[in-house]
Amino acid sequence: MLLNRLSGAFVVTLGLLLYFMIIPMHTEVVDYGWMRPQSIPNACAILFVFLGIVQVLFPTGATSVGFFELLRVSLFAIVTMAALWAMARYGFLAITPIFVGALMLLVGERRIGWLLGGVVVLPLTIWLTVVLLLDRTLP
Amino acid sequence: MVDVTTILAGLGDALSLTNLLFVIGGVALGQFIGALPGTGPVMAMAVAIPFTFVLDPLAAISFLVGVNKGGLFGGAIPAILINTPGTPDAAATALDGHPLAKKGKPVKAMKMALFSSVTGDTFSDIVLITLSAPLAIIALQMGPVEIFALMIFAFSIIAGLIGDSITKALIAAVLGLFCAMVGLDPEHGTPRLYFGYFELFDGLPLTAVAIGMLAVAEIFRRLANIGKSILPTIEIPDTQDAWDKRVSLAEYWACRYVMARGAIIGTVLGAIPGIGSTAAAFMSYASTKQTSKDPDSFGKGNIQGVAATEAANSAVVGANLIPLLAIGIPGSITAALLISAFKIHGIQPGPLLFEQQGRLIYGLFGAMLMANLMNLLIGQASLRLWARIISAPESLVFSAALVLCITGVYASTGGMFGVAVMLVFAILGYVMTSFGYSVVIFIIAFFLGNKLELSLSQTLVILNGDPLAIINFPVALALLLLSIFSIVWLGYLAPRRARKRADAYNNNPE
Amino acid sequence: MKLKGLFLGLITWLLLSVPAFADWTPSGPITLQIGFDAGGETDTLGRVIAKEMESQTGWDIVVENKPGGGGIAMFTGIAVAKPDGQTLGMGVNMPILVNLVLRGDKLPFNLESFDYLATVARAQVAIIAKSDAPFDDLAGLIEYSKSNDGALVAFDAKPQELLMKYVDGETGAGFKLVSTKSSAEAIQNLLGDHVIASFAAGAHIPYIESGDVKMIASANASRHGYAPDTPTVVEQGYEIYVDPYFFIAAPAGLPAETKDTLAKALHNAITSDAPKKAIVNALKTDPSDLGPDGTQKMLTEGVGNVKKLFGK
Repeated sequence: MLLNRLSGAFVVTLGLLLYFMIIPMHTEVVDYGWMRPQSIPNACAILFVFLGIVQVLFPTGATSVGFFELLRVSLFAIVTMAALWAMARYGFLAITPIFVGALMLLVGERRIGWLLGGVVVLPLTIWLTVVLLLDRTLP
Repeated sequence: MVDVTTILAGLGDALSLTNLLFVIGGVALGQFIGALPGTGPVMAMAVAIPFTFVLDPLAAISFLVGVNKGGLFGGAIPAILINTPGTPDAAATALDGHPLAKKGKPVKAMKMALFSSVTGDTFSDIVLITLSAPLAIIALQMGPVEIFALMIFAFSIIAGLIGDSITKALIAAVLGLFCAMVGLDPEHGTPRLYFGYFELFDGLPLTAVAIGMLAVAEIFRRLANIGKSILPTIEIPDTQDAWDKRVSLAEYWACRYVMARGAIIGTVLGAIPGIGSTAAAFMSYASTKQTSKDPDSFGKGNIQGVAATEAANSAVVGANLIPLLAIGIPGSITAALLISAFKIHGIQPGPLLFEQQGRLIYGLFGAMLMANLMNLLIGQASLRLWARIISAPESLVFSAALVLCITGVYASTGGMFGVAVMLVFAILGYVMTSFGYSVVIFIIAFFLGNKLELSLSQTLVILNGDPLAIINFPVALALLLLSIFSIVWLGYLAPRRARKRADAYNNNPE
Repeated sequence: MKLKGLFLGLITWLLLSVPAFADWTPSGPITLQIGFDAGGETDTLGRVIAKEMESQTGWDIVVENKPGGGGIAMFTGIAVAKPDGQTLGMGVNMPILVNLVLRGDKLPFNLESFDYLATVARAQVAIIAKSDAPFDDLAGLIEYSKSNDGALVAFDAKPQELLMKYVDGETGAGFKLVSTKSSAEAIQNLLGDHVIASFAAGAHIPYIESGDVKMIASANASRHGYAPDTPTVVEQGYEIYVDPYFFIAAPAGLPAETKDTLAKALHNAITSDAPKKAIVNALKTDPSDLGPDGTQKMLTEGVGNVKKLFGK
C-alpha cells in the first residue's frame, strides 16, 4: 500500500510541476482559436493532481516491485545506455559485439557456441543485411 | 462501371508467374521482418518502396501488398513467443498469445493467429472488392464531428482493459494522452514541450515509444530474471499431445463468431480514414472478453483472445484501401505509403482510378487474394522455423532482440535520437508495470491522443464552440451515447457479473 | 557507418581514376539527408535524385532520413556539419522560413548558415471547392462566407492558414478555418461536405480532372500549368502567396569549386529523365532548378513574404 501511495504522490507532484512550471515554460501563447496549445496538456496536469490525490488517499491495485530485479534491470539499462553512446561514437560494427558479449556474460552465459553466435554471427548478419542489402545506414 | 474483360485481364496479370513470385517474395520478406522484434510492416514497406521504383507498377504494388500482409502476421510472432510486441495491435495479441506460449503451446497460438489473421484479411478484401464504392461514400459522411465522437468511443473501450484499479488505469491513460501532446499542436502549429530537441517537433516517435514500452521493457525484465541455469526461451515438451500443436477444425469453428465480429469491426473502422488498427484490435478484444462466458480466463491464455485481435487488425488492412482506391484518401500510414508508391509510378489515386487504371486495380485485387493464400502457406512454414529458433537459450534470444530493437528503431526514426527515446520509454514502461500501471492502456491513449486533439479542435471550429450544437450531428450523438454505454458495460456491469459468477463458484465449488 | 565510410571511401578513391567533374571530387561518400520520414514523397524524390547523380558522376551517395519539424531537425545538423561538400540536406522551404520568422532566436541556424545548391520543384498549392459550390472565385467565396455566418475552409499547413487569415483581415469575411494534417484529409472533408472550400497541394488535380472539384485560386505566386485560366490569389486582389519549394543545401563555407561542381551535378540529375518522371508523377509539376543563386534569392525573398503572412 505504501508503494501505491508513493506512486500517487509522485503523480500529484508531476501534475503540479507540469501545471505551474513545465507547461507554461514550454508552450507558446496563441491569442485566437477555441483550443490553445496548452488546453489539453493543462487538462492532463489537472487530472494528474486529482487522480494522484485519489490514489494517495484510497490506494488501489497491486504492485510488483522487486528490489533485486530492479537492481538488475538498472544494470542492463546502464549497459545499454553506455553501448548506445559508444555506438554513436565508434560505430555499430565495432560496439555491438562487445555489447552483446557483455549482456550474455552478465546473465551468466558461458557456452562458447552460443556466445559466438551472439558476438560474431548476429552483428555481422544485421550489418550485412541493413547496409549492403538494403542500402540503409547504421550508427 | 468496369467491364468484365478488364476485370479478367487484371486478374490474369495478377496470376502471371513473375507477379506470383513478387507476391511470394513480398509475403516471405514481410513475415520475416515482421517477426523480428523491433520492426514491423510499416518499416518493411518504407524500406521496400525505393526498390520498387524499377519494377512495373503491378509487380511493385503486389510486392508491397505482400510485404504488408506478411508483416502483419509476422508481428504476432514475437508478441506470442517472447511477449515483445512492436505495435499496440500486437500487444493485444500478446495478452493471450504469450500466456499460451508459456504453457508450451506456442505453435497452437501462432497457428490461431495465422488462421484468424488470414480469415479477417480475406473477409475485408472481399468487402473491398465488392462494396468499395458505396462504402467509401458512407465513409466520406464521417466528418470531423463524427470522427471526434468515434475517438471518444475508441477511448471508452479502455474501460474493458481496466485491471484491479480504476485510478491507476486512468492515470496511465492520461499519461499516454499527455505524451501525445509533445510536438506541434494541431490547431496552431506551435511547437510544445520539445525541450530544445527539434526532433520532437513531430511528436515523440510512435515506433520508438511503442517498442521501448512494450518490447524493450520486457526484454530488460526477462534478462534480469535469467537464473543460474539458462533455459531455452520456450520449451515445447516432447511428450506434448499433437493437438497442442494444431488448431483443430472444431477449435477454429468455435471462434467463428469471435472472428466474424473482429473482421466486421476491423472492416468498418478500416474503411473510415484515420482511425487505425489499434482501436479495432482492442475493441474486438474487449468485446470478445466481455461477451465471453468466462471473461476471467482472458489474459491467461484464452485462444479466443488471439483470434479476436488478429481477425480485427488484419481486416483493417484490406478495408484501409477502400477510401484509398475509391476516393484517393489514405486511411492509414501503410495506405499512405502505398499512395506514394502509386504516385511514383504515375498512378494518381482518386475518383478516376477505376476508369483509368481498372486493369491494374483488378490486378491488385488478384494479388491481394493471392497474398492471403501465400500468407497461409508460407506462414505454416515460417512459424515452425520461429518455434525452432526460439528454442535457443534466453541469454541469446533476448540479447539479440535488444540489438534488433535498437537497429529497427534507428532505421525507422533516422538516428540515435529515436533510440534514446526508446530507452527512456523502456525504463518508464518497466517502472509503470512494476507499480501496477498498465502500459497497454498508456500506449492506446498515446496512439489515439493526437487524432483526438485534432478532431476536437476541428469539431469546435465547426460547432462554433457550442457543444450543444452536436444535436445537429445524429451519428456523432449516437456514437457518444454508445461510448457511455460501453463504459458502463465494459467497466462496471460485465466485471460485476464476472465477480458474481466467481463468488457463486467459490461458494459451491461443485 | 564509420567502417563502411572508410571502406567505401577507399574503394571510391581506387576506382575513381577518371572523375566526371575534374575540378572537385568528394574524398568519401556524400550523405544526402532528407528532412522527412522514409517512404514519403520527399524521401523517394531524394533517393531517385541521389541514384541518378550516383550513376552520372560515379560518386557514392548515401541517403539518410532525419525527420523532425519539417526539416528543422535535419538542418540543425547540417548547419554544424563540415563544409566539405560531403553532407547535403534536402528539405522544404516553408517550415524553415516559418520557424525562422516566428522563433528565429530559438533556432541554432539562420539563412546564412547554409550554401544553397538547387531547388527540385515547387509544390502547387490551390484553393478548391466542390464543383456545385455557389461561387467560382475568391470574391464569391468571401461573399458566401459573409452571408452564411462564416465559411468553413480546411487548410493543410500553417502558411495556408495565414494566407486565409490575411484575406479575412482585408475583407472581414469571417472564415472559420479547420486545421487538417494533409491535403488528403482536407479533400476528404471537402468531398464529404464538411467544409465548403479547402487548400490542397497537388492531391486535388485528379478531382479537377474528374469534375468533382473546381479550382478557386492558385495560392502560389504564379498560375499552375494544368489550370492556366485560374488566377492567383494575388491576381484576385490580395498581395499574398505561398511558394513551397523543395531545395537542397549544404553547410555554409563550401569552397567555390566544390559548390559549383555539386550544383552542376545536382542540376544534371534533377533535370534528367528518371528524376523528372518521379517529380512529375509525385508533384504534378515539372522540375524547376533555380540554381545556387536562384535558390538563395528564393529563400531570402521568402522571409519577407512569410513575415507578411504573420503580419510582422
